Amino acid sequence: MNKNIQLIQINFIRLVLTLAIIFFVLTLFGTSPISIFDSIIYGSMGSYSKFIRTLIVWAPISLASVALIYTFSAGMWNIGIEGQIIMGAVGATFVARSFFGDTIISPYVQILFALGFGGFWGLICGVLKVKGNVHEIFSGLGLDFVASGIVIYLIIGPWKREGIASTSGTDVFDKASWIPTIGQNEFPLLLILIIFVLYIFSFFIFKYTSFGLRLKATGVNEDAAERFYFSSGKYILLSFFIAGAIAGLAGFSQASGAYHKLVPSISGGFGFLSILIVLICSRNIFFTLIISFLFSALIVGGSQLQIKLGLDHSLIGIIQALFVLSWLILEKLKLEKILLSKIIRSNE
Amino acid sequence: MLFENTIVTVISLSTPLIIAVIGETISEKSGVINLSAEGTIMISALSGFAFGYITDFAIIGFLAGMLTGSIIAAFISYCDIKLRMDQIAVGFVLTILCIDLSNYLGQDYVRINGPMVTKFAIPFISKIPILGNVFFNHSLITYFSILLIPISWFFLNKTNLGLSIRASGENPLAASSRGINVKKMRMFGTIIGGALLGLAGASFSLYTKYGWSESHTANYGWIILAIVIFGGWNPFRAAAGAYGFGLLQVLAIKAQTVTLALSQILPLLPFPIMIFILIFIQYINRSERNKFPKFLISILGGNQPEALGRKLPEDVK
Repeated sequence: MNKNIQLIQINFIRLVLTLAIIFFVLTLFGTSPISIFDSIIYGSMGSYSKFIRTLIVWAPISLASVALIYTFSAGMWNIGIEGQIIMGAVGATFVARSFFGDTIISPYVQILFALGFGGFWGLICGVLKVKGNVHEIFSGLGLDFVASGIVIYLIIGPWKREGIASTSGTDVFDKASWIPTIGQNEFPLLLILIIFVLYIFSFFIFKYTSFGLRLKATGVNEDAAERFYFSSGKYILLSFFIAGAIAGLAGFSQASGAYHKLVPSISGGFGFLSILIVLICSRNIFFTLIISFLFSALIVGGSQLQIKLGLDHSLIGIIQALFVLSWLILEKLKLEKILLSKIIRSNE
Repeated sequence: MLFENTIVTVISLSTPLIIAVIGETISEKSGVINLSAEGTIMISALSGFAFGYITDFAIIGFLAGMLTGSIIAAFISYCDIKLRMDQIAVGFVLTILCIDLSNYLGQDYVRINGPMVTKFAIPFISKIPILGNVFFNHSLITYFSILLIPISWFFLNKTNLGLSIRASGENPLAASSRGINVKKMRMFGTIIGGALLGLAGASFSLYTKYGWSESHTANYGWIILAIVIFGGWNPFRAAAGAYGFGLLQVLAIKAQTVTLALSQILPLLPFPIMIFILIFIQYINRSERNKFPKFLISILGGNQPEALGRKLPEDVK
């Protein structure tokens, strides 16, 4: 049998099983899964303006997810992604508050700064790993909180609103610093372009370049890398820098596209959510694009659950985490393969 | 008087932190990073409070919290050992799942009153001036947390079981060839650690941070991961770190009246400290040991379990 077809079949069976588990748990909670998903689909894609809102949430999540593919390929756990998103937002805010803030080039300068700030924050993690042999989970976690400390300090201190020192955020940016949109419904064309360019670029990097291949080799076995005469350390550093820079763009999207100001929880937990997404996509670029969109739709649609069904929005987080957990376990149990071979045998 | 009160507050504020930090230390000593700490603590805080509320016995709440923590740890252990999954991935997903699960299931318990742990002054010795009030006039769970420090040190360093757990976390293959059932030890360490994390959660909601509200124990789980490293995987130093963090919290509350920024940023201090400690540990390990003064090593050094966070080798029985 064709290997690709079998792969699709296995993934399909796994998807059905995973959804069955989620339906079961939701029923256990005394809720109606059908009406929940109905309300989510309507709430996220029921109208053009809702679809735009989903895109605004999707932008940072898809960016952070593709960023994580680089570090996961190098075998690194980039838990510091939240901090990298936050620092990207700080970079963008820095530009928006500078003399560039009311000029038309502001968003483009912001992109550069977001890339730089995020990349720098990612690089710290990489340097600690390569030079200091510090486990990237601990340094990443630490840097996440340091970044959120910096943001809180900036919001209460130097960047506080006129007269008020509160944790509600900075002043709203000048309109010129907002991410440019198109039409009455504010379609975020620039963001969507950035996402597609990055996804296509990453696809080629991993499929056709020796850089991508070496990155993956580093992830599989650091010693193997040395045997092929390239330094795995260099590739780990690069993966963290690239991931940080792309995550910085996610922060730019949050600050200048979603909030139009800097707020304490600017990352919205999207970095951690992206880790969940990449865990189930096993570094497949195409899957990442789709799953990140579905998860974003869940978030946007889920914000309506309270009004429509009187259910708490935390249900969405449960659905997402349960999906990932069931998927990962089913992947290990290899139930689908057994099921598939049974089905084939019964057909013969 | 002010000083005395501060110490009393620090000791009772640190109660859950001490328990959690020691739990995580035991787990990491066996080679397993229980990354679900943040989620485990939060959902055990809920289950502890909920069961305490339903039965009106705080003790049932504590037991429920422990049970919750050990179930989660057992699950991680199963995925780690039987399914050979990445323990970090499982722990991470469970954190996210447990946080949202506790917020969803806890809706009916927000800001209500349940059983409360009262102070229990130890007869006679609590009458000693100053010292008596500072150390012997606390709740039972606080006494337990203080006793846990030497007990866990003794357990890890002087008992066969504790040494076997440590051996499994340092070098699974060598431990296995010495006849230690590494899988069992690893599972045991993880579950004990998880039970303590759960107990810590329950002592938040039943004592230190009484009650339940959305994301009731937010960030404490991440902080204890930092404190474990600050403690260099040694119960005494970890406990010192937990008390230090308790002091930071008290200072942050006091600083609130002076500057808002300081009170928000002080509680984040453990994280940069954690990074510096890690750099220092690795630096010491790679350079000549006697290059550094001994006291510096004992304050800042530490023995990171060699197999921490790694999968067991295939041929470990």
